[in-house]
Amino acid sequence: MGEPAAAVQAEGLVKTYRSRAGTVEAVRGVDLRVESGEIFGFLGPNGAGKSTTVKMLTTLLSITAGTGRVAGLDVAREPDAVRRRIGVALQEAGLDGRQTGRELLVLQGRLFDLSAHDASGRAEELLELVELTDAADRRIKSYSGGMKRRLDLASALVHEPEVLFLDEPTTGLDPASRVTVWDEVRRINERGTTVFLTTQYLEEADQLCDRLAIIDGGRIVREGTPSQLKTELRERLGLGRAATLDDVFLDATGRARTHVAGEVQEVKA
Amino acid sequence: MTHALVLAQRALREGIRTPEAIVPTLFIPLFFLVVNVGQAARIFPGSSTAFLHGQGYGAFQLPSSMLLAASFGSAALFLVEEIEGGYFDKLRATPVHRRAIVVGRLIAEGIKALLIASVLVLLGLAFGIRIASGVPGFVLLIVLTAGWAVVYAGFMQIIALKTRSAAATNSAGLVFFPLLFLTPNFVPRNLLTHPMEIAATFNPVTYVMEALRSLILQRAHWETIGLGYLVIAVAAAVMLAVSVRVVRTYD
Repeated sequence: MGEPAAAVQAEGLVKTYRSRAGTVEAVRGVDLRVESGEIFGFLGPNGAGKSTTVKMLTTLLSITAGTGRVAGLDVAREPDAVRRRIGVALQEAGLDGRQTGRELLVLQGRLFDLSAHDASGRAEELLELVELTDAADRRIKSYSGGMKRRLDLASALVHEPEVLFLDEPTTGLDPASRVTVWDEVRRINERGTTVFLTTQYLEEADQLCDRLAIIDGGRIVREGTPSQLKTELRERLGLGRAATLDDVFLDATGRARTHVAGEVQEVKA
Repeated sequence: MTHALVLAQRALREGIRTPEAIVPTLFIPLFFLVVNVGQAARIFPGSSTAFLHGQGYGAFQLPSSMLLAASFGSAALFLVEEIEGGYFDKLRATPVHRRAIVVGRLIAEGIKALLIASVLVLLGLAFGIRIASGVPGFVLLIVLTAGWAVVYAGFMQIIALKTRSAAATNSAGLVFFPLLFLTPNFVPRNLLTHPMEIAATFNPVTYVMEALRSLILQRAHWETIGLGYLVIAVAAAVMLAVSVRVVRTYD
């Protein structure tokens, strides 16, 4: 018996871009393995390669080198089959503001080959799930940031995906909306969906993720459960207190925390 | 085809909910029709101008206005908006056929153009223009206009996909604009100056305009009509092939 297929697996994943300034290596050989049923956090500073990695794994960007497998399928060779098994909610909820929430979900269902009747029924279920039934027939452009995030999440779930990719799902949300999104993510995961989540919020990763990886400069620099990573750092540095995920992140990415202008904290390279 | 149709339905809803994008499509071509006829109608009186086949100069100018209206499609700008807002990636992450992403909006553009062309012709009829080729000619007239709308919108979509910028897409639209005027716009091709005649002969839009004009001014003149349709068919085939390639390799 071989090893069971991982929900997400990347081996030597590389993405380079050509620009006027030369070749940019956005991702430089990422290896990852996310088991089925996990909530996996993918952390890193701005420009570290998080979104690029997610875009490669979700078939939205071509892979320069290496392989990516999602739900047991090769991302580059079987992109359509991969798309049928994944849900994607990208950074900055990409929604069509001129449609209503209901229309958007029905359309999403139709694009996953549900009949008009089934797509309509599924839209209703999802609107209830994300508590948007009352706003279902309003144009999306009138929604608040939190409502848009929840709708985006719902649209990624229309076809009951095996793996859900969430790229910074709570960026820009107020604390209450953030907690609501966390609850949704937990609920979705409890139903058996593997969640691959990128975030810049360390508290979010600590609260939600079973395991996480930190990427910096296009390479994975730490990987493990939040408690493993914190314990490893405390022991390695001989800290006299419990390490936080912030400490792990700053240590992994070579950033230092300095106090600037009173209580304002700034992370500097 | 289902994917293309549901995306077309969405694009039509988008159009209906953005009337401010449709009103100029009708108003500007009508404005040019009125101005051009006002300026040149006395030079070309219907009673003594052979190329008008007994109609007024408005009948000769109507095809230019129809082509102009058909070139005001908003598909490419909506597409750029979608790319900038992130919804385009959301669509690409679904198993939707890549061709449907392009064709969906073009179907909607074609339907809008059928309606706009019909309104323009009906307004023309109200002002005394006759469709010499009758009801079948009317149908061929608006279908050919819609065909041009689809082709033009398709090329604009390619630019939108390549540049991903509203400003660049808008500017590119202006580059295409001279195509509409390097045609026998005010007089038949044989009355143009020699350099203009050469330019018009090489301009495929000329053949579409001449086909439209022949449907209005003459009984069915199949060679001219066929040439117009052939130009649209070839341009549509090229546009679709390039569009699908661009959307498939979109990174």
